[in-house]
Amino acid sequence: MKIRLFVIIGALSLLALALLSDLAGGDWGRFGDGLSDFVVFFTESMWPPDWSVLEPRTYPECESRFEFTCSIGYIGMVETLKIAFVSTILGFLGAILLSPLAARNLQSVWISIPVRILLAAVRSLPSLIWALLFVVVIGLGPLSGVLAMSFYTIGYLGKLQYETFEGMNSGPIEAGRAMGLSSRAIATNIVIPENSNHLLSQLIFMFEYNVRHGTVIGIVGAGGIGYYITNYLKFFQYEKVFALLILIFVVVIIIDLISLFARSFVNEQGDVRRPTWMNLLLKKTEEKSQADSLK
Amino acid sequence: MKTELLSLSDLVIGYDEPLSDPISLTVGPGEIVVILGPSGIGKTTLLRTVANLVMPLGGRSELHVEPAGGLGYIPQNLGLVRHATVAHNVALGAGVRMKWSFGMYAERRERVMKALSAVGMDHKASEPVRRLSGGQKRRVATARTLAQRPQLILADEFLSELDDINATGVMEAVFPLLAKGCSLIMVEHHEEHALKYATRVWELNDGRFSDLTVEAWKKRRMEGETE
Repeated sequence: MKIRLFVIIGALSLLALALLSDLAGGDWGRFGDGLSDFVVFFTESMWPPDWSVLEPRTYPECESRFEFTCSIGYIGMVETLKIAFVSTILGFLGAILLSPLAARNLQSVWISIPVRILLAAVRSLPSLIWALLFVVVIGLGPLSGVLAMSFYTIGYLGKLQYETFEGMNSGPIEAGRAMGLSSRAIATNIVIPENSNHLLSQLIFMFEYNVRHGTVIGIVGAGGIGYYITNYLKFFQYEKVFALLILIFVVVIIIDLISLFARSFVNEQGDVRRPTWMNLLLKKTEEKSQADSLK
Repeated sequence: MKTELLSLSDLVIGYDEPLSDPISLTVGPGEIVVILGPSGIGKTTLLRTVANLVMPLGGRSELHVEPAGGLGYIPQNLGLVRHATVAHNVALGAGVRMKWSFGMYAERRERVMKALSAVGMDHKASEPVRRLSGGQKRRVATARTLAQRPQLILADEFLSELDDINATGVMEAVFPLLAKGCSLIMVEHHEEHALKYATRVWELNDGRFSDLTVEAWKKRRMEGETE
């Protein structure tokens, strides 16, 4: 079994290398030159990051007590987070309605196949193209971004969700079916609660994805931090671009920590009581004071 | 109106190959049937075929129970929603035969707590199922079926993982339902446990199916041992 697995992985890796060579036109030297060009570009144009993006803008005048909130970095990031949050929630609602209809273990092929085709159609247009379409229809601004990412989220999250449902243990579904529960009751009372850990993980991943993707759709004028990144790129202000990229990276890490915390409520790991740093420190102090009193 | 709850006519069970000769029988109200036989012989397949979860290779299996909630099913892996609470799981059973009304939620809650206290699990109502032991999960699955109040229960090894006291407790919790005409068909490896309550034994062995009374089964067993 192990040998077969290694052979399959080896064959796939060789195939990938052959395709890469084909795509590169056999010119492997480009990789070496490209790397040295990147080092020069990074050290001369991007480093050090220009943190002035976190300073208040000169116009309009900042009236807030916290000047940081008037900075390009803060305004862009908050707008991106707003777009990502709204589109993730709207997309999740759309996906959770459609995915139980697309799962083959919950519906007949007459329902699941058309819903799968619909989700594939929505997903096959990248969010950038959706953004372009909505910019044409309703104009520049964050609303186009919200609608674009909502549609993409429905397609993407819908696929993740129905594949999760199809991969679940069949026991609870069979018990529900034998009991005479309706398909709707099985989906809402059995399938969704049973997969809550995965659904939550996918939801937060999608939010993180939408935050990162907010930078891309800004390019077509759909708002968010991407709008400012595009402007800095136009004027070759790469240090500022790098500072904003670091800001996005920090936000992504924070979202990952929130995901870890949120999922601990619905997985076994959360049931294990682990010592916190606070407990460890207090215990040490307690033990020390007990030892002192004994002396 | 038919009095039997289940009728099998020339039923051939199996996935690709037949696992038994054709089975024809009926099950009436208030019966306790134990399916016995060595591991892998097709006991679970028979139960799943009766529950209409597996297509038979031949013949017919007909359930004469209400389509919504008339059949209670406790699979081998119990089929509980692990990330939901004990009360949520039992409420699934309680709600299946209920028609919507303003008082439905209070009635369902009452039914859930009654079923849980019958199996001694009422103190765990708000606990997620994943935190329970194997025996406790079996009692929750039984409570789900009790709250459902079905006409026929199909249970796959629902007394295993339970100690003698709890196994007796679970069976005693099911008795009021049986007294009202519900029947129980169970697959059980612990013969002495199951035979204490059984009124009928279905034996699967080497592809042969036998429908026997408990006494007849015991007699056949003794004869087999003396040979």
